[in-house]
Amino acid sequence: MLERGLEEKTFWLNLGPQHPSTHGVLRVLLEMDGEYIVKAEPVIGYGHRGHEHMAENRNYHQFLPNMGRVDYLHALAFNQCYCMAVEKLMGIKVPERAEYIRVITAEMNRLTSHFLWVGAYLMDLGAFTPFLYCFDDRENILDLLDRLTGSRLTYCFYRFGGVPVDLDDEFIAGTRAFIQRLRRRWVDYDNLVTKNIIFIKRTKDVGVITKEQCVQYGLTGPMVRGSGIPYDIRKSEPYSAYPEFDFEIPIGENGDVFDRYIVRMREMEQSLRIIEQALNKLPEGPIMAEKVPKRLKPAAGEVYQAVETARGEFGCYIVSQGDIKPYRIKLRVPSFANLSILPEASVDNLVADVVAILGSMDVVVPEIDR
Amino acid sequence: MQRGFQLEAKTGEPLISFGLLEEALNLARANSLWPLTFGLACCAIEMMAAGAARFDLDRFGAGVFRPSPRQCDLMIVAGTISKKMAPAIVRLYDQMPAPKWVIAMGNCAISGGPFYYPNQYAIVPGADLIIPVDVYVPGCPPRPEGLIEGILLLEEKITKRGRLRKFRDVK
Amino acid sequence: MLSDTIQKTLASLNLEKVAAGDYGKTGYHVEAAAQPDQMPAVAQTMLDLGCFLESLTALDLKESFTLVYHFANFDQLCRTVVHASLAKTAQAPTISHIYAGADWYEREVYDLFGIRFAGHPDLKRILLPEDADFHPLLKDFGATQENA
Repeated sequence: MLERGLEEKTFWLNLGPQHPSTHGVLRVLLEMDGEYIVKAEPVIGYGHRGHEHMAENRNYHQFLPNMGRVDYLHALAFNQCYCMAVEKLMGIKVPERAEYIRVITAEMNRLTSHFLWVGAYLMDLGAFTPFLYCFDDRENILDLLDRLTGSRLTYCFYRFGGVPVDLDDEFIAGTRAFIQRLRRRWVDYDNLVTKNIIFIKRTKDVGVITKEQCVQYGLTGPMVRGSGIPYDIRKSEPYSAYPEFDFEIPIGENGDVFDRYIVRMREMEQSLRIIEQALNKLPEGPIMAEKVPKRLKPAAGEVYQAVETARGEFGCYIVSQGDIKPYRIKLRVPSFANLSILPEASVDNLVADVVAILGSMDVVVPEIDR
Repeated sequence: MQRGFQLEAKTGEPLISFGLLEEALNLARANSLWPLTFGLACCAIEMMAAGAARFDLDRFGAGVFRPSPRQCDLMIVAGTISKKMAPAIVRLYDQMPAPKWVIAMGNCAISGGPFYYPNQYAIVPGADLIIPVDVYVPGCPPRPEGLIEGILLLEEKITKRGRLRKFRDVK
Repeated sequence: MLSDTIQKTLASLNLEKVAAGDYGKTGYHVEAAAQPDQMPAVAQTMLDLGCFLESLTALDLKESFTLVYHFANFDQLCRTVVHASLAKTAQAPTISHIYAGADWYEREVYDLFGIRFAGHPDLKRILLPEDADFHPLLKDFGATQENA
């Protein structure tokens, strides 16, 4: 019984930095009124490793392994963006076969990233079985990529001017077999997850993001595609070998968490289409450009290169002053902008919904913290 | 923030020795290690993969990842320790009840990994600067089989007996 | 064409330079240079044209800073870059009241370079610990600073 003069106060709850549902070391300070959020403030920086400072202290080749660690889940796309930015700066042209190999491996990496997201996200929501299914599918892809690149997670596979290792017949046969297998698995995911009443109730109409918010915050990736904006850099600013392939951009209608999930699932099928077309059309030829200098010394200037990663648009901004070390490299990571909408998206939601919204952003905190 | 850690609590002689019961208790502890869900960076993904279906950690008894440090006895430091995160790690370690063990997984947790260079400002180069570490698992990231080898090595350390007694002796 | 519209509208703001960019070499469609005080007007113009703030960063050019704003558009491909030269001890005006996403970008620039943004709602460090007393991406960091 409340007496006069006794107010109900809000209390602060600390979510993280060690928490099973934060996808990395993220801390969210929640000011709560009972179960409802009054204010959510993300605190980042717990994974700050100084990538941009390292960039100024290394030459271009030495910085290449860093790109696999910025976003380790879609490391090949980050590698690709950095290599393309430096190739643009130096005027190096990549041979066609190398572009196809880059696209095939980057799309396979996108699949692993989305699988991990589905598994971890559903674990956040309380379902353990999809985690095992997703990791099983993911391991199949990692076997193929491991054979080719030598790593399972933090790839450093592309070089300036192409790729160092060519695909062999076993890789191509294994990839085709894996595509067939995966297509048969979509039914399982549909039955287990997409039609699951608990999942639908937890994700429909939760965390709606409007198109105005997308522009205000600079969101990219499945966040904006779930809200109905068909923005995908592979289509709007095609790079590498993407113009040669025929694929769709799935979009959602409401901008809620469920739509973002559906967008990612459909994107996986589109990735399979791209890989299939790339394998069918794979041209013969060299895999490395000729005459790439061992010590790169680009002319003074700046370049901005963007690619579409699993999380959104990754932009690499390189400023060179004619030295063997870059003057400044700014990594414009998608999760930085995607996370900045959390305060606005979680007001007046339940705590459980905040976990659902945060998971649907597919945030990789070391990429935010760089 | 770095501070010295007290080793005496870990290596001092206990007041009461239980003899054979101690061996049985150690066997029980080693075969049911409960890790803390403590992934910091890339190595966390390989830790998750080690817990997933193919590299199943559960068959070693170590598959029950608990989010609360009060319920764990193993902290797998998987990832780079930034200076901002270091006090939280020490606090989590202090919150774990004894007996507790730490595995430093990945090059970053062992010595700073690829992020240690002379002019660096951001990371703590190694988990053993802030908490006592029992097993080091190198790699960037180590394969899940590597982490499993680390856990098996920790089991040997706890039970003080090798898996193949003739060939392995872990002090 | 959106790049022409952007160039025309930006030219009406009396900026130092508005020109078409060399897309093949730099990745920009429109390049502009402005004074930091003109940035809120530029940001409002870009928002009215439907562009989003892609990135906000800074360069330490030893004698001065340069703030670099990247804008892009969801509907039509057009990347705009605006360079704003800032004196070493000067403050830049915030654009976080126009683009909500600029809030975090400006905090990051403050954290890494020490550049303050006047009018920012809560300018505090975002990546480094709150009690850090250095700005790591300054060019004289390391020579004069100590790593504790």
